[in-house]
Amino acid sequence: MRRFERKPDGMLEAQLDAEEAVLLQSLAGQVAELVAESALRQAQGVSTSSTSESDSTSSTSESDSTSSSSESDSTSSSSESDSTSSTSDAAVARLLPNAYPDDPEASAEFRRFTQSGLAERKVGNAETVIRSLAGAGATGSVTLDDSEALSWLRTLTDIRLTIASRLGIESEHDDAGRSIDPLMREIYDWLGFVQNSLIEALDNHAAHG
Amino acid sequence: MPKTMDRTDVRSTTALESPWVTLVWNDPVNLMSYVSYVFRTYFGYTPVEAERLMLQVHLEGKSVVATGTREEMERHVEAMHDYGLWATLAKADA
Repeated sequence: MRRFERKPDGMLEAQLDAEEAVLLQSLAGQVAELVAESALRQAQGVSTSSTSESDSTSSTSESDSTSSSSESDSTSSSSESDSTSSTSDAAVARLLPNAYPDDPEASAEFRRFTQSGLAERKVGNAETVIRSLAGAGATGSVTLDDSEALSWLRTLTDIRLTIASRLGIESEHDDAGRSIDPLMREIYDWLGFVQNSLIEALDNHAAHG
Repeated sequence: MPKTMDRTDVRSTTALESPWVTLVWNDPVNLMSYVSYVFRTYFGYTPVEAERLMLQVHLEGKSVVATGTREEMERHVEAMHDYGLWATLAKADA
């Protein structure tokens, strides 16, 4: 990859290898899916809290065997407050965090009013990233305006947060995750490089007039 | 979804009480350059002030980045979550 730079016309441009573009598209798609699914699950939990006991058994019987989260669903449905508290998935908890860590009631209400919008915007950002990568074509040249760049920054963050929680990264300086999945850790560092180069390019207003 | 639900009843009393703050917490993932960028572009802090707040988050674990009504702080927290920063709100005197 060649880092992002601001062109004389104000646009931000980078060069990506074909496999880098495919990888980034895939990661953006996965994060969008994760966010959309968990927002939907929590929304359903809120709207059907009185019947949440049956959610994971009767209503989705045909998809029971394929549901990756069926084991956590069946344990959490026993308590009404669980449906609105932070999910057991650490990645999701970080993507859609608690606004009131010490006040479950206020936190649940905040979630109710903000979460679907937040999830929608995250999905929209990921779609922007996927679209601009699809437009890169054979030359591998990705060109963004400032608004698209903001979607990129946010999606790169969401992807890195997701990978970090899966790798167990808990401090800035450690080598966490390298033993678990060296390739994923490398991708995580590369995403940081992409993001940092985009921030530096955004800050470079000099070329813009 | 219940977006039309009226929430003014619970908020009218709290608006008159003590101010609220938006807290941004340290995390091991977000780049220092990104956190600083968000503080500059979203809150409009000068580069120097944004850098100071970012370092406070980084070194002390958290920083108060805004103070105001509960509604304003909820908007800021939601915006921080849009950026992927770990933000919460609390009463200023808590």
